[in-house]
Amino acid sequence: MDGKVIVVTSGKGGVGKTTISASLGAALAMQGKRVAVVDMDIGLRNLDVVMGLENRIVFNIVDIIKGKCKIKQAAIKDRRIDNLYLIPASQSDDKDTIKPENMIWLTNKLRKEFDVTLLDCPAGIEQGFKNSIAAADEAVVVCTPEVSAVRDADRIIGLLYAQSITPKLIVNRIVPKMVESGDMLSHEDVVEVLSIDLIGLIEMDDRVVVATNTGTPLILQEDSKAGMAMQRIALRLDGHPDLPIENPMIQKSFWKKLGSKFSRKN
Amino acid sequence: MKFNTLLKKLMNKGDSKDIAKKRLKFALLTDKLEIKTDTLGNLQKDLVEVISRYFEIDKESIKIDIQRSEESSALIFNTPIIAAHRQRGIPAA
Ligand SMILES: Nc1ncnc2c1ncn2[C@@H]1O[C@H](COP(=O)(O)OP(=O)(O)OP(=O)(O)O)[C@@H](O)[C@H]1O
Ligand SMILES: [Mg+2]
Repeated sequence: MDGKVIVVTSGKGGVGKTTISASLGAALAMQGKRVAVVDMDIGLRNLDVVMGLENRIVFNIVDIIKGKCKIKQAAIKDRRIDNLYLIPASQSDDKDTIKPENMIWLTNKLRKEFDVTLLDCPAGIEQGFKNSIAAADEAVVVCTPEVSAVRDADRIIGLLYAQSITPKLIVNRIVPKMVESGDMLSHEDVVEVLSIDLIGLIEMDDRVVVATNTGTPLILQEDSKAGMAMQRIALRLDGHPDLPIENPMIQKSFWKKLGSKFSRKN
Repeated sequence: MKFNTLLKKLMNKGDSKDIAKKRLKFALLTDKLEIKTDTLGNLQKDLVEVISRYFEIDKESIKIDIQRSEESSALIFNTPIIAAHRQRGIPAA
């Protein structure tokens, strides 16, 4: 059976698309899927460093499309996680080098080799976005709980609907403390405004920075809440759509928990 | 209740997220009312074609525009009529 192609997109930049693409790729591969993660940001590649594979790039996506190499030659195999591959972007080519029809051709080949192909979409709604959604079967829209990010997500969702894709939403960089004090939009607020289905909630987590610093997969970091959230999203994407979504909450200390237990009795 | 939350409640300050949500809803609404320039152009062409079946109009002096205020939006179409066509050829209402 042919594999599926999922685009990770957002509209607004810096909301976590690359972090999420890398982690979902790793998590899906650990769950036994053959996974390719593709950097769609031609001219400004980043996924390679987040995945810690930047030293092993020989060929890139533009080389494949121009027929300079085979897919097998450009796809970098992750040595820490079986069945995980990266197809890097080109750093020197122009954004418009790749056209939607090239991506449709490429993903049709990838579907034969991989169970899941994840496309890490660049910010914005230009060529890289158009190329990504032209080739995708499914979409994950990422936003943070901020006015600008949610507004951009709304625009992207409209464009995806126009392509007959019904996206799922990830709210990233949630700070539970601020949500509780009323200084951050809650995921309920975001879902209400965007009216689409949620597929996961990821909180702000220092481990993300540590993982990115060292180029190690976040899901291999011990006790990373963001990493755990990503693993659960990967399960939902692949065969377990009804796995409950947990609400990020303030870690209460033992004494506070005890205190709230007593106060509840009164 | 957290001290900060308590303080805020005492000082009767609203949550900033409520302001965020209100602004967001408004932005999404106005974003969707924004119409591409060529959409208006196409609409004008179609309207001229339909109206010309009934009236003789001055195609040059037609104006079509969207007027927006804080509460509502309206599509404004303005054209002087030069003459009415005879009944012939007008589709039944
Ligand atoms: N849950 C999180 N907790 C803490 N930091 C995060 C989290 N998610 C993302 N970040 C950080 O936010 C920054 C932007 O993330 P990332 O590069 O994944 O975003 P992006 O959407 O791919 O950006 P671009 O639009 O530029 O491609 C990075 O420094 C990343 O480490
Ligand atoms: Mg990125």
